[in-house]
Amino acid sequence: MRGLTPPVLPFRAMSATSEAPAAYRNTADDPGAIGLIREAIADVRSRRRLVRYLVAADMHKRGADTLLGNLWWVIDPLLQMVVYVVLVTLISRGQNIEHYPLFIFAAILPWKWFSASVTDATTSVTSQDRLIKQIQFPKIVLPVAATSAGVVGFAFGLIPLAAIILISLGSFSPFLLFLPVIAAVQFLFTLAFALFMAAGNVFFRDLGNVSRHLLRLWFYLSPALYSLAVLDEVRLLDQFPILRVLLQLNPFAILFEAYRAVIWGVPGDISPRLPDLSGLGLLAVGSLVFLAVATVVFKRLEPKFAKVL
Amino acid sequence: MTASDAPQPAAPSARDAAMEAAPPPMLARSGAPVIVAEDLGVRYDLRFTRKTTLRGSLGQILGRGQSAGFWALQHVSLRLQHGESLAVIGPNGAGKSTLLQVLAGIIRPSQGSVDVHGHVSGLLTLGAGFDQELSGRDNILLGGAFLGLDDAVTRRIMPSIIEYAELGEFIDAPIKTYSSGMRARLGFAIATSIDPDILLLDEVLATGDAAFRAKSKQRVIEIVKAAKAVVLVTHDMGWVTEYCNRALLIERGRVIMEGDPAEVVAVHQEHMEADRMQRIAAAEAAGVDPRIVRAR
Repeated sequence: MRGLTPPVLPFRAMSATSEAPAAYRNTADDPGAIGLIREAIADVRSRRRLVRYLVAADMHKRGADTLLGNLWWVIDPLLQMVVYVVLVTLISRGQNIEHYPLFIFAAILPWKWFSASVTDATTSVTSQDRLIKQIQFPKIVLPVAATSAGVVGFAFGLIPLAAIILISLGSFSPFLLFLPVIAAVQFLFTLAFALFMAAGNVFFRDLGNVSRHLLRLWFYLSPALYSLAVLDEVRLLDQFPILRVLLQLNPFAILFEAYRAVIWGVPGDISPRLPDLSGLGLLAVGSLVFLAVATVVFKRLEPKFAKVL
Repeated sequence: MTASDAPQPAAPSARDAAMEAAPPPMLARSGAPVIVAEDLGVRYDLRFTRKTTLRGSLGQILGRGQSAGFWALQHVSLRLQHGESLAVIGPNGAGKSTLLQVLAGIIRPSQGSVDVHGHVSGLLTLGAGFDQELSGRDNILLGGAFLGLDDAVTRRIMPSIIEYAELGEFIDAPIKTYSSGMRARLGFAIATSIDPDILLLDEVLATGDAAFRAKSKQRVIEIVKAAKAVVLVTHDMGWVTEYCNRALLIERGRVIMEGDPAEVVAVHQEHMEADRMQRIAAAEAAGVDPRIVRAR
């Protein structure tokens, strides 16, 4: 029985019957980092319909039990903006930045996308434990779907954004065309982060608890409610210049400033303009590297999921 | 039993629906090996047990150098030919389900390899992937996508799934409003909607009320007969001798015996009986009422 090799059959990744492989080899071997990334891309490509269904199911569920249904996609960021405007107005005793609602909204919208994606992705694998132990499917589709669902929420949020722009500035600037570019960079970063959290939470359930607080801290450390220029007034940073560098390297410092540049402008000159393209480019390259590392880590841990869950 | 080349049963079936579009299945030749497993081993790392927290895990990493682990399966080699039906039997915790999970590609072996030629499917435990908020119809689509069925195929077999599960107009209501019987029927209908080349079956499922149980058992038998190869894990020795032409006895992760179902079942029952007597003796020695042991 041993020693005989099976006849070599052509490997067909997909047949008309199924998106699952028609033949496979399950071994202890590791295909290496490049092989894993290639596998991950093939996984998502062959299962893009599953991703679509998971996203649609997510959309459907969010609106299902509420009176206003999917209108909440629009109302939610608006309400959050109102809360921050009231809060900051009270603290600063009315010494507000001009068009402050627009100023804040330009940061709240991308942040809601990021935090919702990361929160959902963190539990995306662990919540499907029963399925994972029973059928073989590429687990990477779960965090990818969670991240993609966030994109839809972001797209809905562009509606109130357009309204606030019209109310505050009166017209749309051509620089708004940079929004998809900035969003694409954010998507790369978000996806990488989501993959890490999804895989990590399988092994350490603490991550879900910790992430909520870390996300909140991250938000306040990022120039969302204030502009990066405010940091010049913070004395502590003069003593420790390294802190300033760290705050400026924060991906969301780059992203928020970029969003704000094309939507609102810069402090002292409120008119939309070109974002800092070199910073964005650097972040894009960094995010790609981060995504590659996250993919390899996820794929390496994936075979252990069914054992641990 | 051997896999029959008889026409497919009339129950909901993905293969029927895909037949026109699909090229001829690659397993047309009889006697070709469909599963070849060489020296399989699966090792569980006990450091990460269910719901680990960072604190517990760090403690173990720092506390003890070597990680606790055990081999759930070791040195298992098997070869399944087209047309064969293999029963895997053994006591609880022997590694039977782990073996199925490795064959299905759900778990990666820590040692050795498995080569599988053909579409593999197990029968999902009823409603494993159900989303409570979604309607029955959406759950069928989602379930099909998880199983890797083509969208067109899923949509084509949808009416027969709905009819088979006896759901009627409830199909458009969220699953959370279903009775447990309705849920079980839908889960069974989705799980059995695909006709795999290789069927991996962990315990024969029968579900719902008496009438549906008879119907579902009939359906499982149909799938077993239609599949080109079957691996069946069960405690029901009647199934082993009736529907399998080969049996594998596993104890503590190792293959004890392989061969004719009736012979392997006899050895298994002998071992079980010996084990039971041993436990009764141990209980008596420890002063425990042996009836407690016997009741198990």
